Amino acid sequence: MASKNLLFTKDHEWVEINGDTATVGITDYAQHSLGEITFVELPAVSKQLNVHDVAAAVESSKAASDIYSPLKGQVSEVNDELSAKPELVNQDCYMAGWIFKLKTGAADTKHLMNASQYEEYLKTI
Amino acid sequence: MAKKGGYGIIEYKIGAGLKFLQMADVKKTVLFDRHAALAGKAQLVPFAGWMMPLWYKSISAEHEAVRKTAGLFDCTHMAVLKITGKNAADFLNILTTNDVSRLKPGKAQYSYILNSAGDIIDDCFVYCISDNDFMLVANAANEQKVKDWIGTVRSEHIQCDDSWQVDVADLKDESLPDARVDIALQGHASAQCLKSIFNVEIEGLKFSTFIQGEAEGVNVIIAATGYTGAKVAFELFVHPNRAGQLWDLILEKGKALGIVPCGLGARDSLRIEAGLPLYGHELAGDFNISPFQAGYGWAVKLQKENFTPTPIPTDRTILESPEKDSSAQSSIKSQSKLVCGFIGKKAVAKKAADFDTEVARLKFSGEKGVRPIRQLDGILNTDGRCIGYCLSSAAAGDKQIVLALIKKEYNTAGKIVGVYYLARNAGHIQQGRKERVIIGDLLTADIDGQVVERFEKF
Repeated sequence: MASKNLLFTKDHEWVEINGDTATVGITDYAQHSLGEITFVELPAVSKQLNVHDVAAAVESSKAASDIYSPLKGQVSEVNDELSAKPELVNQDCYMAGWIFKLKTGAADTKHLMNASQYEEYLKTI
Repeated sequence: MAKKGGYGIIEYKIGAGLKFLQMADVKKTVLFDRHAALAGKAQLVPFAGWMMPLWYKSISAEHEAVRKTAGLFDCTHMAVLKITGKNAADFLNILTTNDVSRLKPGKAQYSYILNSAGDIIDDCFVYCISDNDFMLVANAANEQKVKDWIGTVRSEHIQCDDSWQVDVADLKDESLPDARVDIALQGHASAQCLKSIFNVEIEGLKFSTFIQGEAEGVNVIIAATGYTGAKVAFELFVHPNRAGQLWDLILEKGKALGIVPCGLGARDSLRIEAGLPLYGHELAGDFNISPFQAGYGWAVKLQKENFTPTPIPTDRTILESPEKDSSAQSSIKSQSKLVCGFIGKKAVAKKAADFDTEVARLKFSGEKGVRPIRQLDGILNTDGRCIGYCLSSAAAGDKQIVLALIKKEYNTAGKIVGVYYLARNAGHIQQGRKERVIIGDLLTADIDGQVVERFEKF
């Protein structure tokens, strides 16, 4: 299960905030329903993103999904390992399967859910 | 994130899971409880009005199982109709394109149901149980359309008196004592499994033939048919009340043989790998693809003429298009003239030679990290000229297999072709990627591959 420190979107992205940097990935629920992920499209480093901008994309044989930025910020790092090993998103979505990092400054996180809120949210969908 | 693509012709929303069951029009198959127990929430999706498993373990594992051992598929959502009566064969010969008079009890044939314009209403299999008793199996997605069309054909196309006897029943109706639903067991290990259950010799069973078996009070039609390209492949037609028992029995006996349950995902990837067409993709669909373009001209018997084993009633005739011919009906009637061999014949005959694109099977790298090819992505020649479109695609091992509609001069095994990925999101469009391409466009290939043989058996 996800770390208690993560925040979540209704679109099943997770975000972990450390100082002014936010790490973003997709939740276990999302990777599970996508199936075997065979391709991850990463954002360009230094790209400016607003909340809910399309930041990345993941594709499995039966589905393609856009990944939206949970926060406003500038892409500071991407997980290059996913280019050759997209299956890391399935295998370890909260750790090795992270997708990109954002420089956010003081992030406004009011629109995000905490772990227990996300758990409750999953029960409603 | 937001899931855009879906399985085949359906779109499924991420995490929608069992919530679809609250939708009034989504039905459960007789095996639903087993799927719910075997698969997690997320892998069940609505397909053609039915809640179906997309996969149990993973699409690739189930695909591989069918190629190496065998896989079990819930096809109980498929339409199974019973056509009986002394004119059943006549009726099916009018309704379908293949030659029903060539069928004998225990034989089945692939066929098409066309409308008056020669367009495909559905592809189907016709099984001859006895001279006056047939089973027609059609796509779940087209069930209502096929039923409605049969009604139209009976009431409007065939003008006849009471001596003409055809009865049509829905064999999925579990109140019928001889009701039947379809469960498919596909792959090399199938024969041994069925032999151990039914104690019947089925290894010599030729493709498109069938026998009946019985075990533990379960009567089953065992047909050597299927939709996976497996050389050893069976469809089992069983009473819906017994389907669960048969499903459990196969999984129990098949466990040691490596037989696993398979979802719609593997069903699709296996049929794509084999080159088999799916209605809406390689048949009919956006490009109104004819059986001839799909490589199935042999199932359209333009020459079948004297198919009636019983005399044609004097006042019966078959109208190619009742709407147009309504004023002429009485005169045609009085001449007792057979207007057409089968409905849609005149129109489809024109399509037989007149096409410049056809369905081809293409192979590309499918290693991890290669973007999957999708429906409507452009197929390019080595000059970068668009020569066609992806219709279906699937992962098969470390390859991607694409069924595409391409200009027929390129449909030769070994020809090098490329793919242009269409824009998948707003970012791609901003980068100048096209959302739609048409034949003739000059583009740059994103990935190269080649044309392979139209079909492959495994």
